[in-house]
Amino acid sequence: MTDKVNGEKNKSRLTKISFLLALFLIWEFVPVWTNSAKIIPPFHKVMVAFWTNLWHGDLLQHVAYSLQLIFTGILIGMILAFVLTALCIVSKRFNDIMDVVISIMHPLPGIALLPVVMLIVGLGAKSIIIIIVHSILWPLIVNALAGFNSIPKIQIELGKNLGMKGVKLIWLVMIPNAFPYILSGIKISWARSWRALVSAEMVFGASGMVGGLGWYIYKTRFFMDVSGMFAGLISVIIIGMLVDEFVLKSIEKNTVKKWGMSV
Amino acid sequence: MSSLQVNNISKSYQLDNKELNVLNDISISLDSGDFLTILGPSGCGKSTLIRCICGMETPDSGEILIDGKPIDGIGPERLMVFQDFNQLFPWKTVEENIVFPLKLNNVSNNKVELNEIAEEFMDIVNLKQFRNAYPNQLSGGMRQRVAIARSLALNPKVLLMDEPFGALDAQTRAILQKELYQLWEKFKTTIIFITHNVQEAIILGSKIIVLGLMPATVKFETTNTIPYPRMPETKEFMSLWKELYGHLETKRF
Repeated sequence: MTDKVNGEKNKSRLTKISFLLALFLIWEFVPVWTNSAKIIPPFHKVMVAFWTNLWHGDLLQHVAYSLQLIFTGILIGMILAFVLTALCIVSKRFNDIMDVVISIMHPLPGIALLPVVMLIVGLGAKSIIIIIVHSILWPLIVNALAGFNSIPKIQIELGKNLGMKGVKLIWLVMIPNAFPYILSGIKISWARSWRALVSAEMVFGASGMVGGLGWYIYKTRFFMDVSGMFAGLISVIIIGMLVDEFVLKSIEKNTVKKWGMSV
Repeated sequence: MSSLQVNNISKSYQLDNKELNVLNDISISLDSGDFLTILGPSGCGKSTLIRCICGMETPDSGEILIDGKPIDGIGPERLMVFQDFNQLFPWKTVEENIVFPLKLNNVSNNKVELNEIAEEFMDIVNLKQFRNAYPNQLSGGMRQRVAIARSLALNPKVLLMDEPFGALDAQTRAILQKELYQLWEKFKTTIIFITHNVQEAIILGSKIIVLGLMPATVKFETTNTIPYPRMPETKEFMSLWKELYGHLETKRF
């Protein structure tokens, strides 16, 4: 039984790795064969550019700056989402108001807000953080509220029957029950925050002294450093994959998957 | 373990502007340590009755007394075991599901003592080897056992059971009936057990009540003195079965 499961796991891992290898091979040789290496540099060139720019160039600085902006944005977004969701749960009236706010704000792309944000707070890290917060706040709230609305009635009754009410009931019964939805909101936010950061920087350039990865990609394109441009893209992909694989998936595996609560 | 008095409770619901009388002037009197099974056709309001006793719903009139004192809302002195298998906390293991309510109700703050209680009750329901399992890894019957163990560990004044075995297969059901009866003999907890299964009502109950169709009224009441184990093929079992079945109205469609 476990052998079978492990076998399947290994097979699945093997498939994924083989696919990536095939992709890298195609990337390596097709540009050369088709004489388009100037537009799409072969894989090894991109990797060399990635490596040298990371350790000898300024890529690492850009990565660090991006991560700093993203984590600030996610932290603020999560705190705001927590407060607003809590108010929605406590007050039906507030929930009604939030309904309207969400239907106005949720479909609005962060990048569309950029001109307004720039007018109000000016150029700089602040406006990028505001765009990131906007991009993740609404999906976080929408998911959390969906989670709270889908709590089985029996779980609430059970909690009350066992002697819980008020904050205790929310903290010990409702939040764990809503957790699968909250987690899926966080996963969406992670992807969304990158989109917001990169696109915002491409539109209005460096924020602060160095600028993040969006600015890096823009800059390398401007100087026709195509390998560097791809190196920037690869950085975004690698960070995304690392966090997804080692943070988000491992949280998922140790919580909702283990409990059989996946959405 | 406590005595329970249900005095003339009635309840109606509003359904599409029509008033639906669910419970009509129901009175029940239980001594400490009674095991009451309530029989009634599906949809007769037996769940509403037990939910009123639990405090999840409030009757329109009448009173419910525990040891002579009126009940005050929902709380752990009247614990419910539901039919739904989803009555454990999915993010807690079997052991944690039993320990958590104990901690919550300050049964003990001593970790060792809490673990001893959990140990005892996991042993009673034969789930010791599953102590670290999560509910989604357990079968329906095991989950119901955990729910019963959790409730008994809290030592409620009255244990309320709303068709807890209703969704189980026949074999598991028979096993759990036997286990529950033995637990009752051991702890002498006052139990109210809802069922629509006549055989189950006879196997378990020391008192049996039959409710009529909407609005539910007490149609028949009897004491069950058949010695244990109660085998369906015995004469006295069969005659009680016939009598109860005769009182049990079924809806005609």
